[in-house]
Amino acid sequence: MSLYVLEGLRPWVIQRVSAVYLALFFIYVAYCYFSAEVIAYHAWKGWLYNPFNTTVTGIFVIAILFHAWIGMRDVVLDYVHNIMIRIFILAVFIGVLIGSGLWVFRILLLSVVA
Amino acid sequence: MKFKIYRYNPETDKKPYVQDYELDKVEPGTMLLAALLRIKDEQDQTLSFRRSCGEGVCGSDGMNINGTNGLACVTSLDSLKQPVEIRPLPGLPVIRDLIIDMEQFYKQYRAVKPYLVVNDPMPEVELLQTPEQREKLDGLYECVLCACCSTSCPSFWWNPDKFLGPAALLQASRFIEDSRDQDFEKRLEDLEGPFKLFRCHTIMNCVNVCPKGLNPTKAIGRIKNKMVSRSL
Repeated sequence: MSLYVLEGLRPWVIQRVSAVYLALFFIYVAYCYFSAEVIAYHAWKGWLYNPFNTTVTGIFVIAILFHAWIGMRDVVLDYVHNIMIRIFILAVFIGVLIGSGLWVFRILLLSVVA
Repeated sequence: MKFKIYRYNPETDKKPYVQDYELDKVEPGTMLLAALLRIKDEQDQTLSFRRSCGEGVCGSDGMNINGTNGLACVTSLDSLKQPVEIRPLPGLPVIRDLIIDMEQFYKQYRAVKPYLVVNDPMPEVELLQTPEQREKLDGLYECVLCACCSTSCPSFWWNPDKFLGPAALLQASRFIEDSRDQDFEKRLEDLEGPFKLFRCHTIMNCVNVCPKGLNPTKAIGRIKNKMVSRSL
């Protein structure tokens, strides 16, 4: 483990596996969207209430968080050479990602509770 | 035929500039290197560039030709748009005119241990390979280290001291694939980390420019596959 949290082969594999999952998930969501009879808030909430959909959406959120982290980290490693600026950008970005992740899980949990 | 050539002599010039040259009576099929030698002989003896074999084997005359890296000796003038713009290979320091300092490039090459490592006692006969084992080295051993690929790679431009670059990684792959080498595990271990290998984003400029028609991106992919199967 280093400053970059993940390094070398592991992030590369995670990036590819998450990319495949994201692609499959988007196809599934597009299929649900276009085959839905009603497109409204309650229909969407009902869709999320389905345990299968809650699970695949939860995995989607984790996948996209990792995917975004590795992508952003790559950009920073390529272009930002000052170590302090690099740490600052990575810290801000990891804060934004964790915050977004928690927010999405709150939404997912509420959709199950309500 | 018109040429625009990058000139810089750090001893006399404050900054680089582009100089125009014109050659007449250029025969069809003439290679760029022949034209540069004519300019040097007939018009300007201060023009500096490296060259040696003149037939794409030594890899000395790598330069940026109309925006694309290549070897002057195997680039036909017929294929070039005029004026032919010639610059040194990008991304490495210029020593003079078209001559670049290749130290960083060689440093990365040395870092991949470009030689066979055999820990067993040396056998009395040669280390033999089957034709199939030998075939695995095709497309890897032919590299002439002209640096056209590494100096066309944006990842190498941004991190030339940390990212090994396509040429060195092609060589890494050449020894990882070699059935006679006994340093397989250590070679893969050495390429771990965020920079050495994994700055490659499969941009594939290296494949585009390689004068020997090699495919460093594919070689890098082979190394990654080996790393994945080793970790499983």
